[in-house]
Amino acid sequence: MAITREQEPVLLDGLLDMAALLLDAGAEISRVEDTISRLGRAYGAQRVEVFVITSIISLTMEFPGREAITETRRVRSDSSTDFYRVEKLNALSRRCCAAPLPPEELRDQVAAVAAGRKPFRSVLIGSILGSGAFTIFFGGTVWDALAAIVFGVLICLLQRYLGRTRINTVASNLLISMLIGLGVGGLTMLLPMLHMDMILIGDIMLLIPGMAMTNAVRNLLVGDTISGVVRLAESLVWAGALAGGFMAAMLLLDTLR
Amino acid sequence: MREILIQLAAAFFGSLGFAALFGMRRRYLLPAALGGLLAWGVYLLLAERTGVFAACLASAAFGVLYAEVLARLYKTPATLFLIPAVIPLVPGGALYYSMDSAVRGDLAMARVYGSQTLNTALAIAAGMSFALAIRELRTKR
Repeated sequence: MAITREQEPVLLDGLLDMAALLLDAGAEISRVEDTISRLGRAYGAQRVEVFVITSIISLTMEFPGREAITETRRVRSDSSTDFYRVEKLNALSRRCCAAPLPPEELRDQVAAVAAGRKPFRSVLIGSILGSGAFTIFFGGTVWDALAAIVFGVLICLLQRYLGRTRINTVASNLLISMLIGLGVGGLTMLLPMLHMDMILIGDIMLLIPGMAMTNAVRNLLVGDTISGVVRLAESLVWAGALAGGFMAAMLLLDTLR
Repeated sequence: MREILIQLAAAFFGSLGFAALFGMRRRYLLPAALGGLLAWGVYLLLAERTGVFAACLASAAFGVLYAEVLARLYKTPATLFLIPAVIPLVPGGALYYSMDSAVRGDLAMARVYGSQTLNTALAIAAGMSFALAIRELRTKR
């Protein structure tokens, strides 16, 4: 596919859109960089420089006989892992590497992926299964699991609602964990047969930025130091907010008791 | 024995749940959940002999290999299978008890559970990096 001078900005736009979406959906830094350089070369660029950190993507392409052009993109991520998008984008980039699409069409197809999200139904079912199963996993009873499921669904709905507002992740984690802590604490006071720790652990698994943390350390260990440090700091703050919310709930309940 | 079976089943359904939560396509759900079960099996096999850290590390490394094989099979990114496989290793319990101890003012226990949480996270990451490094040895620039 020969790219004209006029098409270059469109191509860069499409590639940056794709990179931003991939990053947001939970693909690793090295994967995003790799995908974009491959695609760039498939379009005939003789030099592709792509640099990705958690909040910014910079892409430089140079086609034979022309001046290099550079664009950057600021990424505001809500970092909700979305395998649906990762998979669609992966399929698109594979197709495009084999037979490059016209840049306008690439941009449209990326926009089409951006318009879709993982279905809410599977998020809901996943939250139910995840919270219930991990309550049992950590040693809770069936009744604990059922209670964890109720609050797991609540977490799911709260996250969906708060995700539509402009509230940031720290504040929403703080709020959600406090509400859940109060709810579970109140319920176990009414029903002493339930184990508060087991229910909360099952629900924490839904909230914990475990993957963000693990990815952060992984970035650090493979040499993507900046992203690793940023992600690690970010996820520690999120985890701190979670802990803060739960602690506030427990302290409140203690004073009530 | 019964406890082990319950744990394995819970790991399976937990991983299944998280795969669904992350929006995994239906045909990949079962292989993803199986990854969680197998990774937890690796952990249980090793935990008593080698200690928790090494077991976590080996289990995470296993998760990477499992994910790489399935990724080749289905032509998808390996992350899709890696994340559900290592979910059972995430130290939710230790994190909760460290918070709980801190609230009760037992800072010594909070420190014990806190470092347990961090050690586990480090073991998972180290295991993944180790296996990824082996993969990268095979691919040329």
